[in-house]
This record gives sequence, structure tokens and C-alpha cells, in this order.
Amino acid sequence: MAAPARAPHRPWRTAWITPRGELLSPPRLTATALRLTVQVFLVVFLWRGLYAQTDGAVAGLDREQAVAYAVLAVLALRIRELDRHSGRDTVQQHLHHGTIVYWFLRPVAPRRYHALRALGDQLYGFAWVVAGYLLCRSAGVLPPPASAEAGAAFLAGVVLGQLVLYRVMLLVDLLCFWTLRDGAALRIVQFAQNLLSGAFAPLWFFPGWFRTMSDFLPFQATLNTPLSLYIGRIPPSEAPHALLVQAVWAVGLAVLTRWLWHRAALRVVSQGG
Amino acid sequence: MATLAAGPDTAAEGIVARNLTRTFHTAVRRPGFAGALRSLVDPLRVEKTAVRDVSFSVERGRLLALLGPNGAGKSTTIKMLTGILTPTSGEARVAGVVPYRERERNARNIGAVFGQRTQLWWDLPARESFAVLRDVYGVPQAEHRARLAEFDSLLELSEFWDTRVRHLSLGQRVRCDLAAALLHDPPVVFLDEPTIGMDVVVKEQVRGFLRHQVERRGRTVLLTTHDMTEVARLAERVVLINHGRIVLDGSLEEIRGRFGGTWQVHATLDPAELEGAPPPGIRVVRREGPRVVFGPDGSGGPGGSGGAAPPTVHRALRAIVERYRVTDLALEENDLEDVMRAAYLRREERPVRDAAEDGAVADGAAADGAAGDGAAPAAGRSA
Ligand SMILES: Nc1ncnc2c1ncn2[C@@H]1O[C@H](COP(=O)(O)OP(=O)(O)OP(=O)(O)O)[C@@H](O)[C@H]1O
Ligand SMILES: [Mg+2]
Repeated sequence: MAAPARAPHRPWRTAWITPRGELLSPPRLTATALRLTVQVFLVVFLWRGLYAQTDGAVAGLDREQAVAYAVLAVLALRIRELDRHSGRDTVQQHLHHGTIVYWFLRPVAPRRYHALRALGDQLYGFAWVVAGYLLCRSAGVLPPPASAEAGAAFLAGVVLGQLVLYRVMLLVDLLCFWTLRDGAALRIVQFAQNLLSGAFAPLWFFPGWFRTMSDFLPFQATLNTPLSLYIGRIPPSEAPHALLVQAVWAVGLAVLTRWLWHRAALRVVSQGG
Repeated sequence: MATLAAGPDTAAEGIVARNLTRTFHTAVRRPGFAGALRSLVDPLRVEKTAVRDVSFSVERGRLLALLGPNGAGKSTTIKMLTGILTPTSGEARVAGVVPYRERERNARNIGAVFGQRTQLWWDLPARESFAVLRDVYGVPQAEHRARLAEFDSLLELSEFWDTRVRHLSLGQRVRCDLAAALLHDPPVVFLDEPTIGMDVVVKEQVRGFLRHQVERRGRTVLLTTHDMTEVARLAERVVLINHGRIVLDGSLEEIRGRFGGTWQVHATLDPAELEGAPPPGIRVVRREGPRVVFGPDGSGGPGGSGGAAPPTVHRALRAIVERYRVTDLALEENDLEDVMRAAYLRREERPVRDAAEDGAVADGAAADGAAGDGAAPAAGRSA
């Protein structure tokens, strides 16, 4: 009975949970593919239509750039739109139903478990993005990166952007430990994330004060930075600075969320029982 | 703070709770709009002690049922023992580990099922959830397979373990949860209402499973339930808790002895007798013509009102026969559920000392640690 020799913790299966659930329900896959296709077509028509009214560049973006930005944003959103909700597997739901207790009853720290799950989710979402990217490229709605340097900077920006994105989403999840009854607050953060990351529309179209404000927030580091690198709106010469800003956000948020995890673990009071 | 004996103390390998106390602070809203505004800046905090001074221990390889009415503090106690909650004061030790201080180390030693909540992943078949847990705990593949086969033979899981958890019935799901909690071979198991929502056949199956885990696998089990049949079939020893305090720590017989005095005697009397007052300690519960139902005097059983304890069934029978001319007589003793009702309803609390001493006696020749801990609150309280 005394613990015998244990095999080491094998993390990949934990990471694989959400994708596995998705693959087990083909209707969800179909729905995702359908939704992505429709969304891509819509943004392509929308932006081409908008640019038909003007000639030349708007806010420093020409037509091709604007379309490319919007299409990439649609694809990128897929990375974190995995449907954890229907699997009753969001942190908010776990807190609400009290199943969060099991996170604290396993020999893997909740922080680590959360990160592993997110890693799996994001890699799975990334597979969708790559597939969508290749399709869009061959369908001619997406031009290649502005240059080879831009492509390389874009890849670095995507990785850093995903790190920042994970921490922002984690921050929202952690807030649930405090604002359990406050779904509204969470929706506001999520809306801000969509708006300020450039998911709704390229940040370049927003007024100056808005962009200044968003310079002080982490959201644009998740999406706007890599997409702008891709289309060349941020030239490769400015890439190191942009990437550095992303890295600073990634590290700063890591420190903050780490501390919050600590606080959350102290106050986890499971509901009901 | 005195630490718990860490030496080769048998109880230390099971479960030891000493003076566990947990107070919750909750903010309540003041009534009205102005009240709501005021609550924003100056929240009204209320304090609620869910568990107070709870001490008991479970030896390794034993099963203990933690009983009490809704809101008694059972789940809160279990949450402290599993390390989810940190006690406000007092100490706990589970398989030699202080659970809320070393959560991860503790996690390897314990398995837990909270009946209403599942730890399985909703979108995965149960068997894949098991595989995830196998990897989380690092259980070797062969061992995992053998244990699954064992659980399947006892709980008949294979009928549905390839179904996604979202499609399982409640009873099936809880059975899977039981298996999931024991997959890593934990020496100590906490079960908070594990048979919730199960039909009678499955309940019996689960009881068999638990008996097997205790008797054959030597696991220590702490169980809460509202099902008295389960208690009667499984538990040698129970801890009764009410309003966060231990009321009794002892065997089922002791509980029956203390709270089971609510017998009833159904008698048909000679009509001429009907006016006489019943013998002392006995009252008339109901009367329909010549048929009279007698019960012990004093509400809520022997512990009820002050004065002399009501007579036992046997003495009452003799008294009734001596007093009246009886043409027919029937005796009705309570089942465990009635006993528990009496125990739960009992209003005033007798000093904890009583209960604790009973506990110590009940442990009898049990390990020193167990008996000592049982008596601890009496020593600790200056009252
Ligand atoms: N997080 C919490 N905040 C405030 N009060 C709480 C909290 N958890 C429990 N309580 C209170 O503590 C008391 C004991 O609750 P607990 O859940 O331990 O009862 P229980 O014995 O498990 O009851 P049941 O049989 O209904 O499950 C209750 O009065 C409950 O209202
Ligand atoms: Mg409970």
C-alpha cells in the first residue's frame, strides 16, 4: 500500500483532453469548419467592399493588408474559441459547480494543470489556423508575408502573442475566484480583449487616443502585433521593439498570475456540499 | 500549538482530527437600495462557525461514518481533511501528512468523491478520464489495468465506461467517480455522499465495493451519508455531528442506546381502564377507542427533558401490563432512521465531554492515539 515506485507524470494526455473531446463530436468539427469559412468570406467581402469606396491606403493599410489582417484575425480567434463551456470545463463553471476542488486534490498543481490544458488547446487551435491559412493562401484571399523578415518576425510575434494571450485569459479565469457571481465583469474583460487586440477590426483604424490607451494594455500584444508584422504595417526594423514589448508583457503577466494563483489557492472555498 | 504525535502511532497513518474548527465569513446584503449602496463601501460581514472543536481519529484500515443533519458541518470537515480548506484552528493529519499544508503530497495518499460533483471530464468516455488520471498520478500501465479489472468486477463499469460522461446516468457516473478516486491506490479515502442517486441494487454493489476496499485492501475510509441502511451495513463506528460539534463518537449500538429509546407500545385496553393515568415515565401518544399507543415521556427521546430517564421498552411493557388490564399488546421499536431522527432533533447539547468519553470507551482497546484524541476536547475545554 505504501506508495510503490511511480511512473513519472505523463502530461500529454492532460493537454489532449479538450481536443480529444472535440474529435469525439464530429458535429462540432463541422460547425467550426463552417463557421470559419463563412467568417473568412464575410470579412473578405466586407473589407474589399469598404476599400472599393476609397483609393489607396487608409490608416497606413492598403486593401490587401487590411484583408490579410482581418482574415488572419478570424483564423487566430479560432485558437482560443475552443468550446470548453459545453464540456463544463471552464474555470468559472468549475468554481460554480464546486468541481474545482478536484484540481486541488491531485498531485499536479492547479497552475500547472491549467497551463497544460491551455497548451493542448492552443496547439489544437493552431492546427486549425495552419489548415485555414493554407486554404486561404491557395484561395487567393491571403497574400504571403510582406517579406521574409516580416515572416520571421511574425512567427516570433505569434509565439509571444500566444504567451500573452494565455496569461490574459488566465487572469480572467483567476478573477473568477474573487468575482464568482460577477459574470458581467468577465464579459467586459472578454469584450475588451476582442476590441483591443484587433480581433474586431485592425487597431490602426481607431483614433489616436484609443491607440495610445491600448499601448498601455496587454491586449494588442496578443494579436495586433503579430498581424501587423505579417502585413508589414510594423516594418521589420521596428520588429525588435515590438517583440520586446510583447516579451515584457508576457513576463509581467506571468509574475502577476503566479501571485494570483497563490492567493486563489488560499481562498478556494468550494461551494455547496 | 502542540503538534500531533508523529511517531509510530497507528492512528497517524489513518486520519486524525484534533480540535478542528472552521469559521466562514460571508458578506450579506443589507435590505433596500440604500442598504445595497452601503454594503458596497462597508460590507456587512457575518461569521459562521461551521465546524467547532471536532476531534476524532480513524485507524488505518477502518471505516468511519460521519453522520449529521443537513448543514451539520460534515462536508466542511471533509474539506479540511482533504486539504481543500485550511482550518481556522486545530490540526489534522492524514496518512501522516498535514493535508492543507502539503497539498500535493497529500494528494497521493488520498482519494475523494464528492457525490454531487464529478471529477471526470464531461466530453470524454469514462475510460479515457481514467487514463488521464493514470498519467497524472503516474500509475504504471499494468497496475492500472489490473485495478480497472478489479473495479469492473465489483462495480460493473465496463457496461458503460466507453460512454461519454455527459451521457451517463447519475448512478453510473458516481460509480465511475468512485473508481477514478481509487485508481492510484490511495490508503485513505474520503467519500461525501457517494451513493447519492443510486438505485437499491447499485447501492448494494457500492457497499460491497467499499467493504472490499476496507477489508481486503486495507484502506481507511471516511464516509458521509444520509442513508441509514448504508450506515447499518457498513459502519462499525460512527461520529455524530450536529451544529458543527461532535455529539457522539461510538458504535451503532451506542447510538441506539442513547437515542433509540423512542419505542412505542400498542395496547388494547379494557374500556374500564381508559381513565387511569399512565405509569411514570410513560405517556399516551395516541388513543383510538380502546386502542392506545404508549411512548416514553419527554419529547425527543431519553435525552429530552430533564428528570429521570424514561423506562426502557422492557420495563415499560411490564409497567403497562401491571397497571392496566390489557387484551392485546404489540411492541414497535425504531429502526435506525428513527434513532437518527431523534439524535438530529435533540435540541440542547449535552456537554461535549460526555460524547468524547463515550468515544474513548467505544474505542476500547483501540490505539492510544485514537482514544486519547477522542477525549481531547474534554481536556481542552475548561468548562
Ligand atoms: N463557503 C461557505 N461559506 C459560508 N458558509 C458555509 C460555507 N460552506 C459551508 N457553510 C456553512 O457551514 C455549515 C456546514 O456546512 P456543510 O456543507 O459542512 O454541511 P453538511 O454537514 O455537509 O450538510 P449536508 O448534509 O447538507 O451536506 C452550513 O451551515 C453552511 O451554511
Ligand atoms: Mg455535505
